[in-house]
Amino acid sequence: MEQILYIWYRDVVKFVRDRTRLASSFVMPFMFLILFGNGMGGAIKSLMASGRVPAGLAGFDFVKFMFPGIIGMTVFNTAIFSALSIVQDREFGFMKEIMVSPVPRVHIVLGKTLGGATVALLQGLLMFLFVPFIGIKLNPGIVLRVIPAIFLVAFTISSIGILVASRLKTAQGFQMIIQLLVFPMLFLSGAYFPLNGMPGWMNIIVKLNPLTYAVDLFKKIILEYDKMPEVLRQAMGLNLQVGGHLVTAANEAGFIALFGAVMIVLAMWSFSTVEQ
Amino acid sequence: MTKNSNRDIIVVKNLTKRYGSFTAVKGISFSVKEGELFGFLGPNGAGKSTSINMMCTVLSVTEGTAILNGHDITRDKARVREAIGIIFQDPSLDENLTALENLKLHCVMYKVDKSVRMQRIMEVLEMTELIDRKDSLVKTFSGGMKRRLEIARGLLHYPKILFLDEPTIGLDPQTRSHIWKYIMDIKERENITVFLTTHYMDEAEYCDRVAIMDHGELVVLDTPANLKNAVGGDVIRLRTEDDEMAVAEIGKRYGLAVTRDRDGISFSVASGEEFMAPFIKELPVKILSIGMSRPTLNDVFLKFTGRALRDEELSSTDQLRETMKRSRAGLRPFGRS
Repeated sequence: MEQILYIWYRDVVKFVRDRTRLASSFVMPFMFLILFGNGMGGAIKSLMASGRVPAGLAGFDFVKFMFPGIIGMTVFNTAIFSALSIVQDREFGFMKEIMVSPVPRVHIVLGKTLGGATVALLQGLLMFLFVPFIGIKLNPGIVLRVIPAIFLVAFTISSIGILVASRLKTAQGFQMIIQLLVFPMLFLSGAYFPLNGMPGWMNIIVKLNPLTYAVDLFKKIILEYDKMPEVLRQAMGLNLQVGGHLVTAANEAGFIALFGAVMIVLAMWSFSTVEQ
Repeated sequence: MTKNSNRDIIVVKNLTKRYGSFTAVKGISFSVKEGELFGFLGPNGAGKSTSINMMCTVLSVTEGTAILNGHDITRDKARVREAIGIIFQDPSLDENLTALENLKLHCVMYKVDKSVRMQRIMEVLEMTELIDRKDSLVKTFSGGMKRRLEIARGLLHYPKILFLDEPTIGLDPQTRSHIWKYIMDIKERENITVFLTTHYMDEAEYCDRVAIMDHGELVVLDTPANLKNAVGGDVIRLRTEDDEMAVAEIGKRYGLAVTRDRDGISFSVASGEEFMAPFIKELPVKILSIGMSRPTLNDVFLKFTGRALRDEELSSTDQLRETMKRSRAGLRPFGRS
């Protein structure tokens, strides 16, 4: 237990010490949320102003819509890239120190996953610094639900990263594979646009993408799906359906937890059987 | 060596490592007694690190096995890991943590009891003279300090066997002698078995027994004194105007086996001083320089492998072999060793 804790602690301490990384982590979200979000939001507003808009849609604010997606993006990026440290440890030789010690491999994977998840949670929570500027109102109910939701997603994504990292020897190789994963998963998750009116093939991929349910879960919590008028739910693409069944927040959390469990077991197996 | 028990703490049986068609370690067998300072001597690429990495359970074994402190390296990895400490050839510290954090992490990984943890950390920091820098990030340390910290770390869990893979490679002579002082101190005080690889002759001299390794095989294994005696008396080394003719003449006149290398020719005789005076007069080839020395481990190496033990004398096949080994191990072929 203490072994898992110290491996976790190592990642968290390094995150806190790395100020440059902390500062630069705001760049991408700022660009998406403030620059892209406001630009796109303005365009949508002017489009709506020219035609007949159903009542209730006046409340559609693209920047607000994007905010949960940006949380998703930040958590996803941070969690998946946290596994880079495994590859770097291997490159810089530190992994040998761990591998020659009597620590069970399973503990190493758990510690690393928890470390990556914690860092991604902290990073995701930092994004809430944007909240005062985009007009989202938070309440204790939202905060109490969003923290475990972010952690759950971060843990699952971390396990994916560690599964990939478990067999790779170079940082370049890891980054290449992760880049191949990151962009399609993000673009097809509903983080940047409402999941409405997609072509059939795209709809299928979106529904297969686990990140879709993570982003939708964040949207449902942060934008308060329960209190939303139906017309706005539709416009924001929040009525996600799989096989005719309307997906609930609880379904999504359950699915992500299950997916995470499978991933971490695979990561443990892969890490334990690989020749370091 | 009064503290040596008679127990074999390491028993290696037919240990083999193959990478595809290339055999890096060719079925070596030997044993090491508890409390012994045992050395693997050989050029780069001889298979020393590969053997040590197998014994430390970080590299899988192709064939054969080794028993460390009663535990089989192929079956009982966790128990073997508890019993050993290792200082790798390449650095293995977390440079973004402080010295103290690196040591704490090690204590946690090896389950060193909480009540003795800080005391042991302070003890090893004191011994390696790093106590003033305990809260500095390791990346601010010099090469010698990092090495000392690694040695300090390797001792924290009081291993029964300490593996040192080229412990002083790339360090200046002063740091080297410092580090050797620590190693000898610990060995005496804790009765730790020390297993070391080196390609420095002077370091091999410290060992109770030395195994010479070349091309993945154990060439010979004995105490440094016995090995030197095996070379036979004093070594005479000379350069002449015509080395080829000199070799033939010495063979013909004195019936001696002569070794020839880039630096000239050498051979050994029972008593150098008495041999030399008439020899200089009698040899029909003009002598450019001549010297005599008591045998060193380098002469031992020369005798058993036919080559001098030097980095720069790696033949091109040796270099190729080294490159292949590294690229198979997933390392960059031209990175530092």
